[in-house]
Amino acid sequence: MTVAPENYVALSAVLFFIGVVGVIARRNPLIMLMSIELLFNAANLALVTYARAWANNAGHIFAFLVITVAAAEAAIGLAIVAVTFRRSPHVDVDEVAALKG
Amino acid sequence: MIAFWILALLMIASAVFTVTAQKPVYSVVGLLANFLTLAATYLMLQAEFLAVIQIVVYSGAILILFVFVIALLSSGVRPFDVGPDKARMVLVPAIVLALLALLGIALTTIRSAVAVRPESALGGVTGESGSFGSVASFGAALFTTNLLPFEITAFILMVAVIGVVLIAGDEGPAGLPRRKKRRAIEREPIVKPPVTLSTSKGAQ
Amino acid sequence: MLLYLIWLLPLLGAVLLWAFGPQLKSWAGPIGSALVGVSFIATLTAWGDATSATGTHAPLVTWLTGWSLGLQLDKLSLVWSLVITGVGFLIHVYSIGYMDGDRAFARFFAYMNFFVFAMLTLVLSDNFIGLLVGWGLVGLASYFLIGFWFERPSAVAAARKAFVMNVVGDVGIMLAIFYVVAKVGSIAYGDVFGHAATAFSGHELFFVCLGLFIGCAAKSAQVPLHTWLPDAMEGPTPVSALIHAATMVTAGVYLVARCSPLWSASPDAQELVGVIGGLTALAGAVLGCAQWDIKRILAYSTMSQIGYMIMGVGVGAYDAGVFHFLTHAFFKAQLFLGSGIIIHALANEQDVRRMGGLRTRMPFAFVAMLVGVLAICGIPGLSGYFSKDAVVYGALETGHPYLYAVGVLTAGITAYYMFRLLFLTFFGKYRGDVDPSDLGIRHPELAGTATGDDAHHAEEEERHHAPSWLMSVPVGILIVPTILAGFLHVGPWQQFFAGFFARGPEPATTPAIPELASTLLLLVVVAIGIGIAYVRYATGPALLDAVARIRTETIRMPAVLVNAYYFDAAYDALLVRPARALGRWFVRVVDPHVLDAGVREVAISAQWLGHLFRSFQTGLVRVYALSIVVGVVCFVAYYAFAFGGVR
Repeated sequence: MTVAPENYVALSAVLFFIGVVGVIARRNPLIMLMSIELLFNAANLALVTYARAWANNAGHIFAFLVITVAAAEAAIGLAIVAVTFRRSPHVDVDEVAALKG
Repeated sequence: MIAFWILALLMIASAVFTVTAQKPVYSVVGLLANFLTLAATYLMLQAEFLAVIQIVVYSGAILILFVFVIALLSSGVRPFDVGPDKARMVLVPAIVLALLALLGIALTTIRSAVAVRPESALGGVTGESGSFGSVASFGAALFTTNLLPFEITAFILMVAVIGVVLIAGDEGPAGLPRRKKRRAIEREPIVKPPVTLSTSKGAQ
Repeated sequence: MLLYLIWLLPLLGAVLLWAFGPQLKSWAGPIGSALVGVSFIATLTAWGDATSATGTHAPLVTWLTGWSLGLQLDKLSLVWSLVITGVGFLIHVYSIGYMDGDRAFARFFAYMNFFVFAMLTLVLSDNFIGLLVGWGLVGLASYFLIGFWFERPSAVAAARKAFVMNVVGDVGIMLAIFYVVAKVGSIAYGDVFGHAATAFSGHELFFVCLGLFIGCAAKSAQVPLHTWLPDAMEGPTPVSALIHAATMVTAGVYLVARCSPLWSASPDAQELVGVIGGLTALAGAVLGCAQWDIKRILAYSTMSQIGYMIMGVGVGAYDAGVFHFLTHAFFKAQLFLGSGIIIHALANEQDVRRMGGLRTRMPFAFVAMLVGVLAICGIPGLSGYFSKDAVVYGALETGHPYLYAVGVLTAGITAYYMFRLLFLTFFGKYRGDVDPSDLGIRHPELAGTATGDDAHHAEEEERHHAPSWLMSVPVGILIVPTILAGFLHVGPWQQFFAGFFARGPEPATTPAIPELASTLLLLVVVAIGIGIAYVRYATGPALLDAVARIRTETIRMPAVLVNAYYFDAAYDALLVRPARALGRWFVRVVDPHVLDAGVREVAISAQWLGHLFRSFQTGLVRVYALSIVVGVVCFVAYYAFAFGGVR
């Protein structure tokens, strides 16, 4: 590979932490979920990078499974969001603070 | 080399756009751009099968799911009405922590180089059947060495589907109620006022 | 086997009567008395073995080497056991009559039996620990019995006072015993006395004896720990007779006699004991002249006579001291029981000023008291004569002429106040119907006059009649040894105890006067005492003028005597008040500000901690997400530092 793996890993890290800030800083639950998808993808990138570096298929397999699980998680997460915010005009995660104590 | 930097830049830009867009539909589009550039990056890393899967599953299915939910929540184009920010104080610490972690990772990756195996380790030329990253090699690995995770993943997906139906589903054809109706006793007043006869004895 | 019987029967009685008192009701008296009586018979039966060279032993528990508890009956404990069980039996029978009708009849006998058991523990033990156990238990029994009528605050206060002062003594005796056991390594008398001369240096021995004597002083009401004894007269008269005359207060004498090897090896300790004994004898006698309560007169006379005994065993005249104990037990019990008959008949009147002329009304009581008074004064032919003579001359023989003089003087004073008691009570006209203020009594309820103790005599009416046979028979029986016991000294007493007690070094000087001259001197002094009493109280004009004379005497009584040399006031100011103030300080300051505050602060800090953690629970998802991120960053940092070469 012409580009050294460290570059890919750095890129993955940057994407990861953009996603983290997105989860924390946004109040719209849909955008939070999308940020979470960003986290998954960042991890996938790192996996594929190392798969290529070490010529090992296992990274691909793992990334594939991550994609699958991310799909399942997105589905359930969206279902929860849909149910929670079905009736309210505001879609604000801060409203769901019933555990405050 | 240049391709990498261009793609990297595009990925970061689209990620930032996703996170900071005011309207969720804009975020979805940004995410789409991110996924596409990511797929391109996979191609650069000789993971062809995964690149295609990325586009088909992620952009093609999950993002569409997002779009549907945005539509369901009926305020997709306009920005949602959002109340006051109750957790104002988390933003700055989050950014600070993220930068710190990035710093740590950067230092780590700079110091320790990853050993790269040469091109000859990859079986065959890219594109050939059975080469590294091809469908054949992927399939072979998936269905032999990693069969158990594959089956479990299938199970996970089934659970996810059932869960979604239970959580967000409507009343089914058999008329199963989605919400518990209040019990009859709770809907009626407990004490009925006594019935009085309009004609009484001493009303002559 | 017999020893166990002697020792445990009273305990059985106590337990039975405690447990089944309400069911047994009036059977409690006969049961209690019978058990003590059987104990007495058993003691008599064991006479033969006890007077052998080694005495009888009955082991109880063997624990460690040198720590075996057991009972022994040798000559010394035989004498004490006979008195305890014999006189105890008579007093139990007497109590059946005296306490008749009392609400807590069974409880009384339970306590009395318990006392007999405790006292037997004290004298029958063959080791120091058993002695200590018995020591404490008799203090407890005394507390129970002084405060028997616990509805009376004065009785409760007296019981408490007695107990606390006994505890002071207990500290002394315990420290001494602990030191002894630590040094010698064994608790048995035999081992300790065998090493008496070798194991301790002179100073150590003195301090051991001092500690033991502090215990004796408290238990036997010697100066300065004597103030509890007059107050102990709050208890019923049989209690005063048994515990505070015949037996418990003589425990100190027993201890000194038992530990004769220790004392004989320490002349300084002997000096101390002798001096305290003499001092107490004199002080008690002087105070006895100033009392108007019949039981208090007898209490101070007890204190004084025990002073004699202590003086006797202190200077080394052990058999004289023990003999005086024997005779004193008889005539003091006699006196107390006789006075009990009077008190009982006069509906709880105890003030001598309101008696008088009872010679004709209560002849039996008069005879009993007369015999007792003659004995205590040392009139020739009665027991007290022989024993007092022996003690006083013993002081001279062992080289203590000053103590001899004190003893002689005290004998004279004793004669004076005992005959004063006799004259005031039995001669002249009956003064019970005279107005108390005419007699100088300002506070009838404080002077021991009848306060109408309803709890005790609720169902009984006033009577001036003869006592029931239950009360008179024991008193009658006691007359015999009161008169005759003295003759033991003429005969076998000295041989009985020959070689038993360890002797100290013989004094260098021979006594200044021969024994016969000493006896005559004593008689002269006693006669002078009786003469003074006669002149003051019993001549014709004195008897006619009795009311006015009594009033004068009451008013003119020196304050020093009335306040018992201010001992009580001193203790109050030095000890009681500071202790009370300390208690109040604790209540005001320590309790709310230290203890409560500590607990409160613990609770508050728990609450504060809870508040702190509660602030984390915002309920906001984003905050929780942030906390996850913090964890992630920590992981990254760990890997960066551990593996990444970051320093």
